[in-house]
Amino acid sequence: MHFDIEVGDRVHRVSVERDGTRYRIEADGRVELVDVARVDRCTLSLVVLGERQASHEAALLERGEPGEVEVYLRAGVVRTRVRDARGRRGGAAAGPGGEGPQRVAAPMPGKIVKVLVAPGDEVRPRQGLVVVEAMKMENELRAARGGRVASVHVQEGALVEAGRLLVVIE
Amino acid sequence: MLEYGDVIGGSCLSMKVLIANRGEIAVRVIRACREMGLPTVAVYSDCDRAALHVRYADEAYPLGGNAPADSYLRIDKLVDAARRSGADAVHPGYGFLAENEAFARACADAGLVFVGPPAGAIERMGSKTAARQAALAAGVPVVPGTTEPLPPGATEAEIAAAADHVGYPIFVKAVAGGGGKGMRLVADPADLPSAVRAARSEAGSSFGDPAIYIERQLVRPRHIEIQLLADAAGTVVPFVERECSIQRRHQKVLEESPSVAVTPDTRRALAEAASAVARTVGYVNAGTIEFLMDADGRFYFLEMNTRLQVEHPITELVSGVDLVRWQLRIARGERLDLPAELALSPRGHAVECRIYAEDPDNGFLPSPGLLLGRRVPGGPGIRRDDGGATPGLEVPIYYDPLIAKLTAWGASRQEAIERLGRALGEYEVRGIKTSIPFFRWLFQNDDFRGGRFDTTFLDRELAARNGAPFVTVPAEAEHVALLAAAVHAFDRASAGSAAPGRGPAASAWKTAGRVEGLR
Repeated sequence: MHFDIEVGDRVHRVSVERDGTRYRIEADGRVELVDVARVDRCTLSLVVLGERQASHEAALLERGEPGEVEVYLRAGVVRTRVRDARGRRGGAAAGPGGEGPQRVAAPMPGKIVKVLVAPGDEVRPRQGLVVVEAMKMENELRAARGGRVASVHVQEGALVEAGRLLVVIE
Repeated sequence: MLEYGDVIGGSCLSMKVLIANRGEIAVRVIRACREMGLPTVAVYSDCDRAALHVRYADEAYPLGGNAPADSYLRIDKLVDAARRSGADAVHPGYGFLAENEAFARACADAGLVFVGPPAGAIERMGSKTAARQAALAAGVPVVPGTTEPLPPGATEAEIAAAADHVGYPIFVKAVAGGGGKGMRLVADPADLPSAVRAARSEAGSSFGDPAIYIERQLVRPRHIEIQLLADAAGTVVPFVERECSIQRRHQKVLEESPSVAVTPDTRRALAEAASAVARTVGYVNAGTIEFLMDADGRFYFLEMNTRLQVEHPITELVSGVDLVRWQLRIARGERLDLPAELALSPRGHAVECRIYAEDPDNGFLPSPGLLLGRRVPGGPGIRRDDGGATPGLEVPIYYDPLIAKLTAWGASRQEAIERLGRALGEYEVRGIKTSIPFFRWLFQNDDFRGGRFDTTFLDRELAARNGAPFVTVPAEAEHVALLAAAVHAFDRASAGSAAPGRGPAASAWKTAGRVEGLR
């Protein structure tokens, strides 16, 4: 079976065959034999067969868009996405680059304690925009770059969900 | 008002204990009660209905509401729950109402034993300025600063004059403060008015009292504190010091005991000073005296915490004394019979990390949400105090984001650090971000490992990172992830509709059968 799997910003063409607990995986011109044991419904134990017999534990979580799988390893979390047969994927994410308007969103659910800017204000880089209270701590959200406040989308006292748009800076 | 003597005697030996708290500390207290054969009563807010402390207690009563002001801070509801349940005693844990004299009084008025100090001692030490006066009365030096709170109507010029008199850099601090809240550092007099405003506002919203005072910032001090127990007969037992200098923005994130910087002579002097302050205020039950210590080993009284502290497990590990059990024994009128040498002779070394639901790669902002899975560490020397942030449950937005305390004991500091470093490597929390990656980084830091730090160390080290990510995944791990994702895709495609559920909700249940391995 063939799959296109995204890891980080690269797409790997992968071919997989199975014989019992052994998977033959060909990716990036490398062929590996991997012995797989399912520990529980989301956890795999992988032993890569060879001279070193490297042992890895991976927990896989399907989150977000269809095909997206978070792989938890000892070293950290790796986001992967298995593309569907036609190779489509969800909308491309906007990069964190320095172009275009800054859309400042709530990084966590909480309460808007203070709105420090108004439309039309000039802001400097790292200037405070909005103070959000979550878990009893006040957190000041700041501008990443300087610019002019185009719009403010919240009022003081409002409860916001994570990801809610707060301020746009041009 | 009910005096301590009134409850001494056989009548309270078997008492039913209501725990006026949530999270890991509620579970910790319930465990001690269960060991002692004492029935337990939990209380809960709406979002905590399925929380571990509710499931673990013998009885559980709803408080209603979610925000602390509607739930765990409601004295009337807590006293009512105690009445309904027939509880004899109330343990306040830490945070919430633990240092609220009105709550201690309300319990006493309702005929409930408050597992903590007398209301008068809470009130006196709860005011930082009154506490400083108590320390001076006990002959213990305090950090230079104003002896009285700034008058509420003080003009900017008057506040500036007070600050000049104390000498910059200064801290503007809430009189009713604690835990780094309601506190602002001011190095430049120009920043004073805004710092005063911010500290007053935070003090008002966090503690219901906007009063502030000014304290000089010592040059690179260590935060050293002395845990003590005191009984109603006036016996005070101080313990080996805790070193709590690893702080991020004045909040403790890691504590250890003993401190590498404290000599046996200083240890004796600290213990004597702490006992003197406790005696001066007629202290009873568990409490902690915090000091700042300079590079020459001179120490200054900072404040007293009139409750059990988050970091009490490290003292338990190096002393072998169960502090929560003693809190309960003292509350029911027992006399302390602990050998005094405990104070001066640590057994090995203990280190604790506070694991928070926060994202170190996003300015340590809180990261509440649905916990999808976890793998918890274990093995030699590892203790995990966990409030039950378990898969399938939300970490609520309303409360402190502490999800667990991870503590290691070792025969030496090095062994304790190596064990904790190993345990941090085993610890995995899925679904929400935690401070675990931050700790893994800290444990690689040579100055931390060498014990060379003060209260400014962590903020300086973090600033020097200049935004470098804590979570970096090596290329080899990406390759392993590719292999795992390939196996998963193959199994899913071959199994067809029988494949495991998709989407976040299904995944939450799917992962509820968690891996609690590596014990």
